[in-house]
Amino acid sequence: MDKDFITRGVRRCSPNRFFLWMTPWVALLAFGLYSAGLCLVKGLNQTNMDNRFAFGLWIFLDLTVIALGAGAFFTGFLLYILKLDELKSVINSAVVIGLVCYSGAVCVLAVDVGQPLRAWFTFWYPNVHSMLTEVTFCISCYLTVLAIEYLPIVLKNRKLRQVPSFLVFEFELHKLIYVLAGVGTFLSFFHQGSLGGLYGVLRGRPFAFREGLAVWPSTFFLFIISAAAVGPSFILLTTWMVEKITKKRLVRPGVLELLGRISGLLLAVYVLAKSVDTLIWINRTSPEVGFPAWQYYSWNPFGTWILFSEIAIFGLAPALILLTPTLRRRRGWLVSAAAMACLGVALNRFVMTVQTLALPTLSFDKFLWYTPSWQESGTFLAVVAYGVLVYSFSFRYFQLFPDERMLKAEVKKEEVEEPLETAGRY
Amino acid sequence: MLPWIYGFHWNAGHIIFLGAFYTVLTVVATTLIVAARRSRRALVEHRVEDIGWHSDFHDLPPQDRVCRHVLTGEFQSRECPNAFDCRHCAMHAKLIAMHPVEEPDAAEEEILGMTFPLDRFYHRGHTWARVEMDGTVTVGLDDLGQRLLGVADAVDLPQPGTQVSVNGTAFRVHKRDANVRVLSPVDGEVVETARPGSDWYLRVKPAGRGEMDFRHLLRGAEVWPWLMREMERLQVTLSAEAGAAATLADGGVPVEDIAAAYPEANWDAVCGEMFLEP
Repeated sequence: MDKDFITRGVRRCSPNRFFLWMTPWVALLAFGLYSAGLCLVKGLNQTNMDNRFAFGLWIFLDLTVIALGAGAFFTGFLLYILKLDELKSVINSAVVIGLVCYSGAVCVLAVDVGQPLRAWFTFWYPNVHSMLTEVTFCISCYLTVLAIEYLPIVLKNRKLRQVPSFLVFEFELHKLIYVLAGVGTFLSFFHQGSLGGLYGVLRGRPFAFREGLAVWPSTFFLFIISAAAVGPSFILLTTWMVEKITKKRLVRPGVLELLGRISGLLLAVYVLAKSVDTLIWINRTSPEVGFPAWQYYSWNPFGTWILFSEIAIFGLAPALILLTPTLRRRRGWLVSAAAMACLGVALNRFVMTVQTLALPTLSFDKFLWYTPSWQESGTFLAVVAYGVLVYSFSFRYFQLFPDERMLKAEVKKEEVEEPLETAGRY
Repeated sequence: MLPWIYGFHWNAGHIIFLGAFYTVLTVVATTLIVAARRSRRALVEHRVEDIGWHSDFHDLPPQDRVCRHVLTGEFQSRECPNAFDCRHCAMHAKLIAMHPVEEPDAAEEEILGMTFPLDRFYHRGHTWARVEMDGTVTVGLDDLGQRLLGVADAVDLPQPGTQVSVNGTAFRVHKRDANVRVLSPVDGEVVETARPGSDWYLRVKPAGRGEMDFRHLLRGAEVWPWLMREMERLQVTLSAEAGAAATLADGGVPVEDIAAAYPEANWDAVCGEMFLEP
């Protein structure tokens, strides 16, 4: 039925099977949209956030998906600016993941901010003293860039490119894509940094407050490095997952290994920087504002285990695995390390968002508990469902993995040759 | 952070931020405008076919984009930088001057049971071009191309008077689930199209002063190594699309209608691969 829209030479499931796959995600999206609708119509009283606990599940989700979506800008930077041509195999997938992550984050932010009819205020009357202004501007611009980068992928669809103006525009836009890759890198660096800086400047929250360079606290740089480090890992992880779900080989093993090596290298730099930052914070920054660092970890469940997990288990360990060639060559180790790196960045964003707000800072404060309401969780799940839907649709109709067709022939060749090779042994 | 809002100051921080923000917007808008203007110009100049081929060529697997001089063994590996249009290739001119293509002894070459007359030029998209006595050029499908399509279900031929260009669409052929465009080996105006059953498809009047440039086409001794490569490609493609064995028995030759021999195969994909339309 939709055969004319599917890339020539690749195999996709039947429309009925695709419909079955999409149905639960559409249902989840519908539930999420209902939850988000309640929050927008009735207000933030639908959530379990309050004036003290103003950042919850949504901001944690935003920071995490934006960090994971950094694979889009970083892969684009490595391919178009540093000319690592092997990454051509994953760039389209990376753009879709980036678009999904950023658009999802913007939608959740819109629900969190509320008052959708006044959304334009943030651009027209920006708060010039807020790091969030920089974040808003950069994310909006980068989302626009990602949408433009997604356009050639859509226009390259087999049916759409039969329209001469689409074919020509896709071709001409693709020739200029390196400009957008450069702009994306610039924007992504700044807003990842600003999101980190947002916590670093919180003088009233000594758990998060950091010193730094000029106007930028150390968290500004740590967020940039951590996002650049886990972006390739997330691309690796999603590619592996898609290969497993679709039972197809989509990229050459060397590409995943390259992504792993890049991720490992940057993760090692991040772990080093994070360790130095933590030592400075424990020994100087925190005591200077009147809080011995051990005090933060005396509140259960946020013991020192969380710091150890963040740096050692989900930072150093995956970095070492990804930097060891023999382990990197084993798919199990490679994928596990990438998953650990992604979990590590999620844990870091959780710590910065939830632990920062849960800890008491004044003598009469109490340790705060926060559990998201079902409306918050529903909105969160809507983003997940939206991501799966957009990615599934793109995978079916657009060429996300240009090597797929070529690899299909190679797999068949191996399947045929294997029995021929073993035949001689008997 | 905009000059007209409360709290904005003309200090370094605000100016840098504002400058960066507007620079980004300007760069993004300019990129879109440039792409749109170039697209419009391409449409006005009727370069759609040329762009379509370049886009297709870019999407071909690297092993399908190899230079013709790799086929003849003059290079170990080299990707064609001109999308198979050797008329503008300095390297091709140099190599041909050094090692001119040997003139064939026979009138035709028999390769794996297929006939390749040597009175014509061959395009890598499985078409041939033959200069006729009246100065026009006849365009047809080579023997492998014929066997791939067998008896076509339908052929969309251009109307006489249509301009065709090298590596643009010459005509389209429908066979089973395949709808494949066949690349033109020559530039010019279509003056006649074939009747069903003919061994040719188009007769083309050369563009310009009537002198046809065939430097981009294969001929003589170049045909054999190219066809060997094509057979290798066909085997790999058939193994992927039809589950056929990757190697053929020694002495085997392609059947007259390859499509009929593989009824389960995705023939659209096989034809797309062999006729260079990814």
